[in-house]
Order: sequence, then structure tokens, then C-alpha cells
Amino acid sequence: MSVKNISITPGWEKYMTKEYLDLVERGPYGKQKKVSEMGSFKEVLEEHPMCAGCAMTLFIRLTMVGLPNPEHTVLIGTAGCGRLALTQTSIPFIYGNYGDTNAVASGLKRGLEVRFKDQAKDVVVMAGDGGLADIGFSAVMHSWFRKERFTTIMLDNEVYGNTGGQESGMTERGALLKMAPKGKMFEKMDMIGLAQTSGVAYIARLTPTNPTRVASVVRKAVMIAREVGPTFIQAYTSCNIEYAIPTPKVLDDARDIEAKRYGFMEIISDEAKAYLDSIDTAKKAKK
Amino acid sequence: MYLVAHIDQAICSETACRLCTQYCPEANTILYDNAAKTAFVAVDRCKGCEICVGICDDLAKHKAIKMIMITDLKSPFELSKEGFRPEKWDGTHP
Ligand SMILES: Cc1ncc(C[n+]2csc(CCOP(=O)(O)OP(=O)(O)O)c2C)c(N)n1
Ligand code: SF4
Ligand code: SF4
Ligand code: SF4
Repeated sequence: MSVKNISITPGWEKYMTKEYLDLVERGPYGKQKKVSEMGSFKEVLEEHPMCAGCAMTLFIRLTMVGLPNPEHTVLIGTAGCGRLALTQTSIPFIYGNYGDTNAVASGLKRGLEVRFKDQAKDVVVMAGDGGLADIGFSAVMHSWFRKERFTTIMLDNEVYGNTGGQESGMTERGALLKMAPKGKMFEKMDMIGLAQTSGVAYIARLTPTNPTRVASVVRKAVMIAREVGPTFIQAYTSCNIEYAIPTPKVLDDARDIEAKRYGFMEIISDEAKAYLDSIDTAKKAKK
Repeated sequence: MYLVAHIDQAICSETACRLCTQYCPEANTILYDNAAKTAFVAVDRCKGCEICVGICDDLAKHKAIKMIMITDLKSPFELSKEGFRPEKWDGTHP
């Protein structure tokens, strides 16, 4: 059904770029691709200018595989490193002002529900810890209080990576950064706790050490946001530049931080759990 | 001059575990050739981070990936030239 959205009008194939043709013929549209199939299908993410070995890049790549319906998804981002890759996907992308991503997403999701009554449209915000926990903080909190039905994914590199290393609310206490030369003086913000207090239907915390898990968490978050309420993923996606991690060690660092203080965690409401169970039951009945 | 990842297909094809593909930060960079049952690298997309080397050495324990000078590749596979055409991949990558 949905591959129609991107298919080429007959006769126009020769005018389209190779990349576009590959995407139509060998992309994930209308078929749910698995992490284990990576390398065998054309991904929606193209080349982009994010740094070599950046864990955020890996996380974004895996997120794109996890999206249940990329053809019916709109991404919202803002200033920060992540948008350098998010703008290079074949998924509509809205560049929110730094701070207003979750306000834009709220309006967009409501508008899409009015415009497309018979077709679920997924809205996914992906932005940095600075964008969501600092400048965008009030818009994030209010979107949760209002129970807006979209997914917020925090690319938590624990620093303002794109502007050269200022501390954010999500930086660990004591962390030394270029623009925090004496070490951060305050604790890391508890966004998971805040999400819980504001009644977010599905909350997950993870690192990119387990690709299948990343895709599965994204899928759950997007599905739950479709029907139940707001969802939040907080992902440790180290900045190897500002934290001076040699690129071959990026995943060792992620495993280490995961073991120490960023373990996998999922908090799911009863309603969201019942909804996921109903999807599973329906799938099994189909088989 | 810079280093890119290079996969020894003789070693890789013994298991073809596909782990490196899942951990490379760049999309469609480590590709999978079904005919030859091996992974291979699109060098025009490789940023030389060496993450795949650690994955193949320590997680997969196959030691099939080495970093080599891009100029030492005889006929490098470039995705931007070849396109994503798995039906044409027949084990003839360098
Ligand atoms: C209103 C506004 N203030 C400041 C900036 C400058 N700015 C661009 S990116 C950025 C930091 C991004 O940090 P974060 O959101 O943590 O993302 P990261 O780059 O670390 O992924 C800032 C402050 C801006 N674009 N808009
Ligand atoms: S500055 Fe840091 S977060 Fe940004 S792309 Fe580079 S490594 Fe990634
Ligand atoms: S991890 Fe090593 S053995 Fe496994 S697919 Fe990659 S190159 Fe081949
Ligand atoms: S060196 Fe980095 S970018 Fe190149 S193939 Fe390996 S993991 Fe991918």
C-alpha cells in the first residue's frame, strides 16, 4: 500500500537519481525490515556530515530501521548534531527552532489526525539533550502534560556537541568540558523521572550497544504514541569529539557507561502494555 | 591518503555473521553479498572509524576486517557509482 507514496510515475524512471530508484525498489517502504537484514536493503539514511564513529550516527541509523512505517512518518529536529543526518533521510523533516520541537510536533500531529482520518501518521522528535532538556524543556514537559501522541527521542551525548562543548542539564556532575573547565557543578537532570511524573505512556533508556534492542524500542515507542499517549526514549549517544573518545573505543565506552549508570530501562503504562499485547495477538491470529 | 575498512572475504564467508553491518555508524556502508555470502565495504562511504574492526575481532571473534590505505585497493566498490544493486553482487569485490 504505502510504497505508492514514493513510487515513480511510469516513464520518469530515467530522470530520477540512482539513489531514489534504489530506494523505491530496494528500500524499506511498505515492508518492515529487520536489523539482521541490514546491508541487504537500501536504507532511508543517505550520506551525511556527522563525525566519523559518532555513536549518535549509529543510533539514528538504527532508529530509521526501527520506524514501523517510514512512509507515514514525519521527523522533527532542531539545531544540534543529529539534524545533520536526520535531514539526509528520505523521510519528511521539519527543522524546528531550537527549543520549540515539541510544540511544533504537537500541532503537526493534531493537524495530521484531522487531515488523514484513515491513515495513522507518526510524528517523531529527535533532538539533543540541550535541545530537549534545556532550551526545549518547557515545550517537552507541556507536550507530556497534554498527553500529545508523538515520540520524543533524546540523543543524549551529555554536552552541546554542535557548538563546541558547553555543559547541558544532562551532563554528569563533575564532567570537564571545553566550556566547563572547572567541571559541571550540578547533577544530571532526571528526565526519566520527570517523564514518569507527567504520565508518559512508554519510557525507555538505552545505549546503542544492542542494535536489535534499539530498533525494537523505537518500534514500541512509535506504536504506543500512535494510539495511547506520549512516549520518550533517552539514548546515550556519546560525543567522541567533546569527550575525546578514540573512535575505535566508542562502543567500549557505551558498554562501560551502560554498565555503570545507563542500563537498559523500560517503563510502560498498563494501557500501553495492553495495546502492545493486542497488536501481538492480532499478528498471531493473522498467521 | 586515508585508511578504510577492508574485509577478508575468505574469512568472512565462513560464517558471514553480519555483526559489523549492524554496528557501522554509516548507512549502507558495509553491504552484504548473498551470492558470495560475505560482507564488503563501500569505500566511498567509509569514514575510517574502525568500529567494525573491534566488532569483528572482539564480538564476532573472526578477525576478518583490517584498515588499509585507500590507494592500496585495486578496484574499490563505490556505492555512488554502482548504486545499491544486490542482484549484481557476485563476490567480485576486491
Ligand atoms: C535559540 C537558539 N539558541 C542557540 C542556538 C545555537 N545552537 C546551535 S546547536 C546548539 C547546541 C546543540 O546541543 P544539543 O541540543 O545538546 O545537541 P548536540 O549538538 O549535542 O547533538 C546551540 C546552542 C540556536 N541554534 N538557537
Ligand atoms: S560533534 Fe560529537 S555528537 Fe556531533 S557529530 Fe561529532 S562526535 Fe557526534
Ligand atoms: S563481523 Fe566479521 S565475520 Fe561477521 S560479517 Fe562482518 S566481516 Fe564478516
Ligand atoms: S571503519 Fe567505520 S565507517 Fe568504515 S566500514 Fe568500519 S565501521 Fe563503517
